[in-house]
Amino acid sequence: MHPFSFTKAATTREALNSGRRGGRYIAGGTTLVDLMRETVERPETLVDISDLPLREVRVTERGGLRIGALVSMSETAAHPKVRSLFPVISEALELSASAQLRNMATIGGNIMQRTRCTYFRDVTADCNKREPGSGCAAREGFNRMHAILGTSDACVATHPSDVAVAFAALEATVQLLGPDGERRVPFADFLLKPGSTPNREQAIRQGELITAVDIPALPRPLESGYLKVRDRQSYEFALTSAAVALHIRGGVIREAKVAAGGVGTVPWKLPAVEQHVIGERPSDALWKAAAEKAVQGARPLSGNRFKVDLLKRTVERQLRIVGGTR
Amino acid sequence: MSPQPQAAVGAPLSRVDGRLKVTGEAQYAAEFDVDGVVHAVIVDASIGRGRIAGVDTRDAEAHPGVLRVIHHRNAPKLPYRDNPGSNNLPGRRLRVFQDDKVLFHGQPVAVVVATTLEAAQHGASLVKVDYDAEQPSTDLAEAEAGEPTKYARGDAEAGLRESAVRMDLTYRMARNHHNPMETHATIARWDGGKLTVWDKTQWVVGTQTELSTVFDVPLKSVRVINPFVGGAFGSGLRCWPHTVVAALAAREMKRPVKVVLTRRQMYFGTGFRPSYEYRLRLGSDQRGRLRATVHEMDAETSSYETFEEGVMLAGQMFYSTPNVSQAYRKVPLDVNSPIWMRGPGFANASFAIESAMDELAHRLRIDPIELRLRNEPAEDESNGLPWSTRRLRECYTVGAREFGWDRRNPKPRSRRDGDWLIGLGMAGAVYDPNNMAAKARARLNADGTAVIEAASSDMGPGTYTSQAQVAADALGLAMRAVDFRLGDSLYPQTPPHGGSMTMMCVGSATLDACDKIRRQAIKLAVEDEESPLYGAKAEDIVVRSGRLHVQGTPARGETYQRLLTRNNLSRLEADGSWAGPSDPERHSYYSYGAVFTEVGVDATLGLVRVRRMLGVYDCGRIVSPKLADSQALGGMVGGIGQALLEHTVTDHRDGRIVNADLAGYLVPVNADIPEIKAIYLEGEDMQADPLGVKGIGEIVQVGVASAIANAVFNATGRRVRELPITAEALL
Repeated sequence: MHPFSFTKAATTREALNSGRRGGRYIAGGTTLVDLMRETVERPETLVDISDLPLREVRVTERGGLRIGALVSMSETAAHPKVRSLFPVISEALELSASAQLRNMATIGGNIMQRTRCTYFRDVTADCNKREPGSGCAAREGFNRMHAILGTSDACVATHPSDVAVAFAALEATVQLLGPDGERRVPFADFLLKPGSTPNREQAIRQGELITAVDIPALPRPLESGYLKVRDRQSYEFALTSAAVALHIRGGVIREAKVAAGGVGTVPWKLPAVEQHVIGERPSDALWKAAAEKAVQGARPLSGNRFKVDLLKRTVERQLRIVGGTR
Repeated sequence: MSPQPQAAVGAPLSRVDGRLKVTGEAQYAAEFDVDGVVHAVIVDASIGRGRIAGVDTRDAEAHPGVLRVIHHRNAPKLPYRDNPGSNNLPGRRLRVFQDDKVLFHGQPVAVVVATTLEAAQHGASLVKVDYDAEQPSTDLAEAEAGEPTKYARGDAEAGLRESAVRMDLTYRMARNHHNPMETHATIARWDGGKLTVWDKTQWVVGTQTELSTVFDVPLKSVRVINPFVGGAFGSGLRCWPHTVVAALAAREMKRPVKVVLTRRQMYFGTGFRPSYEYRLRLGSDQRGRLRATVHEMDAETSSYETFEEGVMLAGQMFYSTPNVSQAYRKVPLDVNSPIWMRGPGFANASFAIESAMDELAHRLRIDPIELRLRNEPAEDESNGLPWSTRRLRECYTVGAREFGWDRRNPKPRSRRDGDWLIGLGMAGAVYDPNNMAAKARARLNADGTAVIEAASSDMGPGTYTSQAQVAADALGLAMRAVDFRLGDSLYPQTPPHGGSMTMMCVGSATLDACDKIRRQAIKLAVEDEESPLYGAKAEDIVVRSGRLHVQGTPARGETYQRLLTRNNLSRLEADGSWAGPSDPERHSYYSYGAVFTEVGVDATLGLVRVRRMLGVYDCGRIVSPKLADSQALGGMVGGIGQALLEHTVTDHRDGRIVNADLAGYLVPVNADIPEIKAIYLEGEDMQADPLGVKGIGEIVQVGVASAIANAVFNATGRRVRELPITAEALL
């Protein structure tokens, strides 16, 4: 671990001041501290923001949710309103990490977490994300866990978060506060595909704080849920996953929100799948046909060809679980 | 066993050291508080093969707290005398900091010593090493094998040709790492020419002899201490380079030095279960009776040492087969040396053999248990010896009954539970318990307590407890009056704590020492005119709860305490021993088992989940049933890992291990483990040793992977011949 200084911000203003001077924010620390131990991250100054008043989950006037950035994963998952309005969020959280990690990790930190690509985490390996221009060891290396969607020549690493997949599906918005005031960034624009700059992972500016994640209201009744396919039954990242929310009225699907995880360099929204099912009646045939569209543009690597098929099956299964067959 | 009544042996006792462990009072190697200790962090080679061109230590040495950086250009030359009789492998062991050669990715190339751990860690990241890198060879499938170890009886090729049924099957098994909770650690301190080492090891005596030969100091000048081991599974069976690094650095610094490997360093700083390719050709008649088997095994070893394990024996003795040939090829690669891991050899051989038997059973439409029974040998066909005890048939019968084997439909894909296909599978298991000479020393104090000492180790099976049980019964004392001490090279020598031999070898030595003391006391009493036992026949006297009395006449007797005090004796002492295997052997000794499992397979999503598991074991006497259960359940969990999750991945481009941590190398978690049960056939094997035990710690992992693979086949009709079984094989 490289030497660093540590300060604790008592107020948002203090945090922003430290952030502007180059401080890195730390809350639960479940990713950052690990990466510091591996010397992948070498911040000079850490600013502990855990005392800031960003710990509230509330229902917005229109029936959406605002989740404060410092609400822990476990508190979010257990929150009665999250459970009743958007079970897909609770399920995604509860299938993540371990109970101990979920107690520490926050929602803001979760969407800021960095990839689990093993080459990224090994400082002696080539990695454009960690060291721009050094190359990508994963592209021709061990890439079983890597992405098949949204990849570039520079980077094929997956985004590891589960709840971010739910946020992507639900078209959440990230609420940011910076020296120049507040701004809102749609989730789809917040996490960046690698392109030629895989070291840039979020559309966040130096010193900006995530204050909340907003989930927009959706027409009711809404059925939603998260399916995670993984080698181990708990405490493991997804090979593939699917977040699905469906508004079905009169036997017809009126609204569909679908995204996939474990397969993209960012949580992968699946508009083609959504479009395919909207206006249709649930059926096994519909789910199968819709899921075919989940892999449009997929570019598998040597070690993860199976993910193409597995992604289709995962999306199909989860559409059936959420939408049923009538 | 002695004529003493059994009170402790066979009782389901909790660990005597349980409280120490759960309260944190048990001291592990890295936790000893050694005055003036400084910290050392090893710098690992970041190439897979080549030479060190330069080492720039300026930045590291400039970092506050860093005391010194030691590497091949400034390290002293070490004698590295031969160490016969150790667990070093044939070849030339890795010599730390002795030259510029890099033999594998992660090899120690320098060590940074600093006043604090943090300074040493940061200093290590500041050492710049330049290399002339060469292309390493790390792929078992691509490399040339060395000369094979061979075995043959009959004419296997002819036997195959003449067989009505022939199968040619190749199985592949991933490299596995032990991944104990406690990472390896060493504290080394020199006092003049004497070296004291606190080292995580399964063999304090082995570390002692290795350090004595590496530094060329007398054996008695080296003391190795290790009372507690936080799991090892074989990773502590030899002295690793980091232990030498600690001792070397301590000598250079003239201060005690502590080295604790990181989890990542465990993947190349200690050994592993090598990956295998196992081709098995078998021929049988139409009724499934084996005529011939041909086994070709390729396994990883390092470029500098040849690792061998008992992967051949099962193919020679498990089934009656007139014609057998085997070739076991060790493939030298640019990797660090492997080491034995739970169920060594047998856990690999059984995956091939027991999967193949399931394939044969399916092909011939014979029940897998019936097929096995048809091939039960009457004697050990590899050497013509009679079995001591071989109750494998009973293992199958009891297991089938308890597990509900009759509910298995032999037709694959015939049971379903929602999205899950359900399958049942079984496998036979065998392990060859090692057997080596051991010693123990016992002392009975005048206050009626006893102390027994043996170098030994307790990596988790409960040596402290089970040895105390043996001693308590032999001495006729309550468990609380017995203090069994281990983990110090000053204590009487014992073999490595592994290979399922501690209960047999150390236990027999403990029994011998305690029997001698009890007999001394009895002799003293019957010859002592002041004793109520004066004149009684020695063989009629038993001891219970520290009181000697005539069997059947409890009133006539006295306590050890009275007897010793009256005779002005502060203690009685005796050395015990176990001689190891008799020469020539008169019997063939093995532990046996049968593993049954039920799996669910979500064939759409490629998921395998174990739903139930049962192991039935013929391991002789069970000294400590509660500890046996934790062995059996733990071993079966290890088998689930081997079957479904565990896989050390090497990047063959540069030899790096790419999943060298517990996030990348998956071991089972609680959610992966279903209801598991173990049954031990009652009885003992008195041919094996005076305790009648055969060893249980190793066999409990054997057969699990094949039982699971066989169950997956029964569930899906898909035969997976590669471990671990992951989603891609099932989609």
